[in-house]
Amino acid sequence: MIYIIFYFQVHQPFRVSRYSFFDIGSTKPYFDEELNRFIFDKVSERCYLPANTLFRELILASEGRFKVSYSITGTFLEQAKSYRPQVFESFQELVKTGGVELIAETYYHSLASIFDLEEFIEQVSEHLEVIEKDFGYVPSVFRNTELIYFDKLSDVLLNFPQIKTILIEGADRILMGESPLYPRLSYNHAHLLLLKHYKLSDDIAFRFSDRGWSEYPLTAEKYVQWIKDLGLSEREGKNLYLGLFMDYETFGEHQWRETGIFEFMRRVIELLLREPHIQFIFPSEAYRTLNFSPKGLSVPDPTSWADTERDLSAWLSNPLQWNAMKTVYEFLRKAKAENKREFISILKKLTTSDHFYYMCIKYFQDGDVHKYFSPYDLPENAYKYFMNILADLEEKMEG
Amino acid sequence: MTVLMLTWEYPPFIVGGLGMACYGLFKALANLGVTVKMILPTKEEVFFEISKPEEADYPVAKSQNGEPLSPTPLRFFPFIYSLPEESAYSSLKEFLIQAKPLEVNPPLPEVPDEVIERLNLILAQGDNLLHKVRLYTNNVLKLSQKIDFELIHAHDWLTYPAGLLLKKVFKKPLVAHLHATEFDRALGFGHPVIHEIEYLGLNYADKVIAVSHYTKGIAMEHYKVPEEKIRVIHNAFIARTKSPRKFRKFREPVILFLGRLTPQKGPRIFLEIAKKVLESGVKARFVIAGAGELERELMLEASSLGIGTHIMFTGFLTREEVEEALSISDIVVMPSVSEPFGIVALEAMHFGCALIISKQSGASEVIENAYKVDFWDVEKMVSHILELISNPEKLRELQEKAREEVKKFNWKIPAQEVKKVYQELLHSK
Repeated sequence: MIYIIFYFQVHQPFRVSRYSFFDIGSTKPYFDEELNRFIFDKVSERCYLPANTLFRELILASEGRFKVSYSITGTFLEQAKSYRPQVFESFQELVKTGGVELIAETYYHSLASIFDLEEFIEQVSEHLEVIEKDFGYVPSVFRNTELIYFDKLSDVLLNFPQIKTILIEGADRILMGESPLYPRLSYNHAHLLLLKHYKLSDDIAFRFSDRGWSEYPLTAEKYVQWIKDLGLSEREGKNLYLGLFMDYETFGEHQWRETGIFEFMRRVIELLLREPHIQFIFPSEAYRTLNFSPKGLSVPDPTSWADTERDLSAWLSNPLQWNAMKTVYEFLRKAKAENKREFISILKKLTTSDHFYYMCIKYFQDGDVHKYFSPYDLPENAYKYFMNILADLEEKMEG
Repeated sequence: MTVLMLTWEYPPFIVGGLGMACYGLFKALANLGVTVKMILPTKEEVFFEISKPEEADYPVAKSQNGEPLSPTPLRFFPFIYSLPEESAYSSLKEFLIQAKPLEVNPPLPEVPDEVIERLNLILAQGDNLLHKVRLYTNNVLKLSQKIDFELIHAHDWLTYPAGLLLKKVFKKPLVAHLHATEFDRALGFGHPVIHEIEYLGLNYADKVIAVSHYTKGIAMEHYKVPEEKIRVIHNAFIARTKSPRKFRKFREPVILFLGRLTPQKGPRIFLEIAKKVLESGVKARFVIAGAGELERELMLEASSLGIGTHIMFTGFLTREEVEEALSISDIVVMPSVSEPFGIVALEAMHFGCALIISKQSGASEVIENAYKVDFWDVEKMVSHILELISNPEKLRELQEKAREEVKKFNWKIPAQEVKKVYQELLHSK
């Protein structure tokens, strides 16, 4: 049997204002409300609303056989409730179909797991709370920001006994030639690890509309055939678990409606539902469908799904990023120690990984991706605005 | 007395200190009864006239037939000097070293035809900046036919070719004003063509005005300009704001670097100083204000120290932001490696900042109330900063003295000296 696990990431950061050095000491807002609202509205129209409609229809039409999982960040939910309640309700509707599993992560989509484990635990708790409050859902699966994973994370997650499964990147350097189709156990055997099949995931997420790609145009029939072909490699009758993990914005935002992405997805799912040896499952269902004992997998150094390196370099490969991140966690610790509530919530929003992504100065193709996502013209400016805000907070916290 | 001024900068079109110096000088000259007709790198064929001091604030553009116009300025070019790939001037180094002082035939040496031919050849190159210089030179030539003037005064190399041509055509005296040399900008040998233009301009002018003894030395040593031809007239300062604001943005003392982020201005040295001061455990905030080619390098270096928000970068500043930066600063450091004058120092004094400046600056020749240190002596600058921070009484005293001293640097005396140069030239004719 080939089990297909769809997981979509839903996230929006609170982008900071173009906060100049000379704005320090003023009352200029730290976050660019107008820009954040504009982007949220745009992505809602292009992606969230039509994609929710599509997947809801597919779930209902398949009578529960089609299943998907989502991780929705706390910052996204805040924006949805404030900017577009309709989008928030549409996610609630979707979850009510029963064909949706919700996954836990850090509320702020941060790199707290790298910098401050106490803060990490706090942010995961905050996320579990908001998911339960907004959707009445208690997740048993975890995914860390941008699929960042390393051995120690499994230990830390023992603080949350309900978490049994973790989604991770099927990076070549940890698999060392083994297939990402077999779930693995964390090094301490505490969690089941489901791996992203990056080739088949990225065929949709990145390459679908790439006219320079040798497989362009990608038809649903071709894609479904690739999935069926995966079964040919398995000779011992083990079940296969295909992790198709991607940003939700793939549908309509990164791949525009005009590329035919929505029709493609509908067709792919309809075709897959006809296959007797293919089934959709939730990530949490992987455990009980296993017909073999998974092997352990050790990941001493962090992996992620970002950039070609699939490591932390998208957020932490130059001193600008490091100094900014280090400083924000220092201030956060200080604010907590002094119980300065109004600063804590701001600083937490500043831990969101996107802020550091914009400061990346790696070149080649990843640089282009960073630029595509960045609302600022230069990584240096992203750093300046961020540090100016921190300096302002520093002064105000002293006061 | 009417002088044709050739300059690349004038407020509000300013890249560096040149524009501000011209503004102060022209205004003071007008006060002494000198009529200034100025040609800027504008797209239109226009010139500006300043015959009364107040006209210096908003000079009116006039077309050839005297109609007032509002000009569209040419884009101002970033000063990035790199050698052309196929340089026709590879032997210039040799040329400069071997060059003998020219036989000057006072009072008015002819500009030989070869020099004009040479300038034509040089400016015909594809280089973007040189192309703009050629456009400017052509514009000046055309306009000057209709303008009455007795004397030509050219400011820095960008206008020297035009100055030389006019001298040749109209047989009028040429004053070459030296605000900065290519040796300062490039910290050594720079663009060979610019060196050659500076060489020709300085040597075939009738008089050279250098903004400091430091710059005079460079002109003599590197361009073989005879000493008697050079007059040192230090820059002065004209305050835009009569009573500058002073306020605190940060609790900690603020130490400011203000200038383009190029090797010449010494921002790397400032970073070294910041590093050492912060390492000593002293609480202070260092601000690097300005834009330039070294920005990314400096930011990476600074952030790698992990000093959080204690070294800040402002990026490009508007005129108002320059003043705000000075308003919030306690100490200004000008660690220039080679600075013909350094008008920032006077501005900093006006805003009541304590000053630490490099000895390799023209400003250090005239300012009394400042610490003067060799640009490479980081330790000494650090100890001065630590001393001032730990001794607020002393800091305040130095700030007060600076604010007082700067009042004497007005343009009246320099303008009188410039006028004297004009009179000598016209008289000897």
